[in-house]
Amino acid sequence: MKKLLCALLTLAMLLSLAAFPAVAEDAAEINIFISQPEYADAMNTLIAAYKEVAPNVTINYETTQNDYPTLLKARINAGTTPDIFSTTSGKEIADYAEYSYNIANEPAAKAMDPAVATMMTYGDGEIHGFALKGNYFGLIYNKGIFDEVGITVPKTIDEFEAACEKLAAAGYQPVTTGFAEWWVYKHIMQHFVDAASDNAEALVGSFQKGEAHIKDYPVLYDNFFRFIDLCVKYGDNKPLETDLAGEDSAFGTGKAAMMVGQGAWVEADVLAIDDSIQIGFAGYPVTDNPAQSQIIGGSDQALRINKDSKNLQAVLDFVNWWYTSEYGQNWFCDVAGVIPPVTGAKVADMQIIKQGVELSAADGTAPLSICYSSDSYHQAKGEALQAYIGGSLTKDECCAQIEAKCVELDGTK
Amino acid sequence: MERKPVSPMSRKALKDTLIFTAPAVIMVLLAMYIPFVMSGYYSLTEWNGISRNPVFIGFENFKTIFSSGSPEFVNALLFTFKYAALFIVFSNVFALALAVALSRKFRLANFLRGMFFLPYIMSMTIVGFIWKFIFTQGFEKLFEITGWSIWNYSWLGDGNLAFWSIVLVGVWQSLGFYIVLYVAGLQAIPTDVLEAASIDGANARQRFFRVILPLLGPSITTCMFMSLTNSLKVFDIILALTKGGPGGATYSATLDIYREAFQNNNYGLGSAKAIVFFVIVLILTQVVLKVFERREVEQ
Repeated sequence: MKKLLCALLTLAMLLSLAAFPAVAEDAAEINIFISQPEYADAMNTLIAAYKEVAPNVTINYETTQNDYPTLLKARINAGTTPDIFSTTSGKEIADYAEYSYNIANEPAAKAMDPAVATMMTYGDGEIHGFALKGNYFGLIYNKGIFDEVGITVPKTIDEFEAACEKLAAAGYQPVTTGFAEWWVYKHIMQHFVDAASDNAEALVGSFQKGEAHIKDYPVLYDNFFRFIDLCVKYGDNKPLETDLAGEDSAFGTGKAAMMVGQGAWVEADVLAIDDSIQIGFAGYPVTDNPAQSQIIGGSDQALRINKDSKNLQAVLDFVNWWYTSEYGQNWFCDVAGVIPPVTGAKVADMQIIKQGVELSAADGTAPLSICYSSDSYHQAKGEALQAYIGGSLTKDECCAQIEAKCVELDGTK
Repeated sequence: MERKPVSPMSRKALKDTLIFTAPAVIMVLLAMYIPFVMSGYYSLTEWNGISRNPVFIGFENFKTIFSSGSPEFVNALLFTFKYAALFIVFSNVFALALAVALSRKFRLANFLRGMFFLPYIMSMTIVGFIWKFIFTQGFEKLFEITGWSIWNYSWLGDGNLAFWSIVLVGVWQSLGFYIVLYVAGLQAIPTDVLEAASIDGANARQRFFRVILPLLGPSITTCMFMSLTNSLKVFDIILALTKGGPGGATYSATLDIYREAFQNNNYGLGSAKAIVFFVIVLILTQVVLKVFERREVEQ
C-alpha cells in the first residue's frame, strides 16, 4: 500500500514538471522581453488593446533594466531567444543581425520615420529593428530660474561659463550632472563629436581604427573637457555620487538650474516632483559658434524581431498593427507619451518634445553619433571620465585610455 | 592475493549508496563540473557571447593576461587581495569579540544573537541598496544636523573611500555568520577547564589567550577558511554599492571577469580570467588550510 502511494506521489511530481499547454487552433504566443521598464504600463495597455484585435494571440511581456544585455545573451545562448528583444540602434544592429528579422518589406518599415530607419539599417537596404520611441537629447534648463536671474540660453562655451557664474552668485546650483551614471557622458560627448567634424560617422570610425587622437580635435580636447570641468565646478557637491534620481531631484526641486546628459525621457519624473516647473530645452554650448549648438534627435533603442521565431507571422502582424493602425499610432502620444517613431502621428503635449520639434525645424538636429559606437565602449569611456573627475587620471591619461578602449572594444578585429 | 567474494549484502549497500548520492552528484555535475569544462573550452576562443560560432584561438587569451595586456585584471586582483586581507582580519576579530560577549549568560543574549545574525540572511543586493542610501542621503542629513566633516566625505564617490565603504558593509553583513560559528565553538569548551584555570590564578585575559583561544582552534580554522573564500569571491555587494565605480576604482576579480565577459563582449577572455582566478584561489586556500591544520596538530 505504502509502495503504491510512493509510486503515485513520484509519478504526480514527475508529471507536474512536464507542461501540457492546451494549443487551440491558430492560437499563437508572442514572448516580448525588452529593456525599457519605464514604459511597462504603456506596454500593458497596448497588449490589452491588441487582445481585442487578435484574441487568439497571447503576449507574454517581460521587462528589466539591470543587466538586460547579460540576460538577453543568456536567453539567446539557451535557445530561448525572445520573439521581440531590445538592443541599441546603430552599431548593435550588426552584432545581433544573425538573430533578427529583416522587416524592410513590412508595412511597419514603410510607416517608420526615415530618421529612425537610418539607424536600423543593416547590409544592403535591410532594416533590422524598429523603435519604441524617437528621442531628443540636449541641455535642459529651468525657464523660471533663468528669467529670475536674467540670463538667456548659453549657445557658446563662454556664455555657458558666464551663465554659471551668474547663477552661482544668485544662490542657485548652476548645473546638476548625474556623473555617477556612465551613460551621461556619452549623451554629452556626442554633441561635441558632431561639432568636431562634418562627418561624425567617419570620425568615430577613425577612432575605432586607432587613426584619430583626441588631441587633434580642439573641440574634444579643449571644449569638451572644459565643459566637464565647468560642470564639476558649478555642479553637485559630490559629482560622482549623483545618479539619475539625484539629478531629477535636484532639478525638480528647483535647486539646480540646468540638467546635463539627459533628454526627453526625464520630463515625466521631473513633473512628478513639481508639476509647475517650466522646462526649457536647448542644444549644448559646444564651440564659439552659436549655430553649432544643436539638439540631437533619433532613436537610440531598437526593438528586434527574432527571425527564428516559432510564431513569426503573428509577431509581424502585431508589429505591423502597432505601427500602422490608428490605435497604435495614437498610442505613442496618448499612452506612452513619447515622440512617435512613425511619420504623421501626432506629437505628445510635453514641454521638451514640443520644443524639440520647434528647435529641429528651426536649427536642425545633429546626428545621433552615440549609435556609431557600442555600449561596451561607452561604458569604458564613462569610467575613464569618472576617473578623470575623481583625479586618478590626468586629462592626457584619460584621453589615452578612451582611445585605447575604442580600438579594443569597437575596433574591427 | 585471493579476491574477497563480493557478498550480496555489500553489493546492495553499494547500490544504495550510488542511488542515494546520484541526485547530488548529478546536480553538482550539471551546475559546477560541466560548466567548468565548458569554461575551459571558451577560454580558448574569441567570442562576443552573441554570435553562434566562437572562433578558436588557442592560448591567446592567456598570453594577453600574463603579458600585461590586461592591467585591469591585475588591479582587480590587488583590490581583491587587499579586501580579503582586511575582511578576514576585521570579521574574525569582531566576530570573536562579540561571540565572547554574547556567550555570557545575560537576559538579552539570545535576542541579541538573533539581531546580529539578521544582516546575514538579508539579500546582498538589498543590503547594498540600503547602505547606498545611507552613504549618500543618510550621511548628507547627518552632516546637516551635526556638521561633522566625517559625514561630508564622498563615501561612494571617492575611489579610496569607496574601498573602505565596501569593507565596512561586507564585514557588517557577514559578522552574524562568524559570530554563530564562534559561539558554537565557545560553548563546546568544557567549563571545568576554565574553572581549573581560574583556580590556578589565571585572570580573564590569561584565560582567554592561554585556554580559550587554543581550544577554539578548529573554529578558527573553519572561520578563516570561510572568510577567505567568501572575501575572494566578493561581487554582489560591490555591484549594488558602486558597480565597480567611481571610475573603475572598485573592481574585484569576479566583477572584472563579469565586465570582460558581458560588458566588453569578450567572453573568451573573461573565461580565461576566470580559470586563472580559480587557480589562484585554489593555491591560496590550500596553503592557508595546510598552515592552519599544521597549527592544530602541533597543539
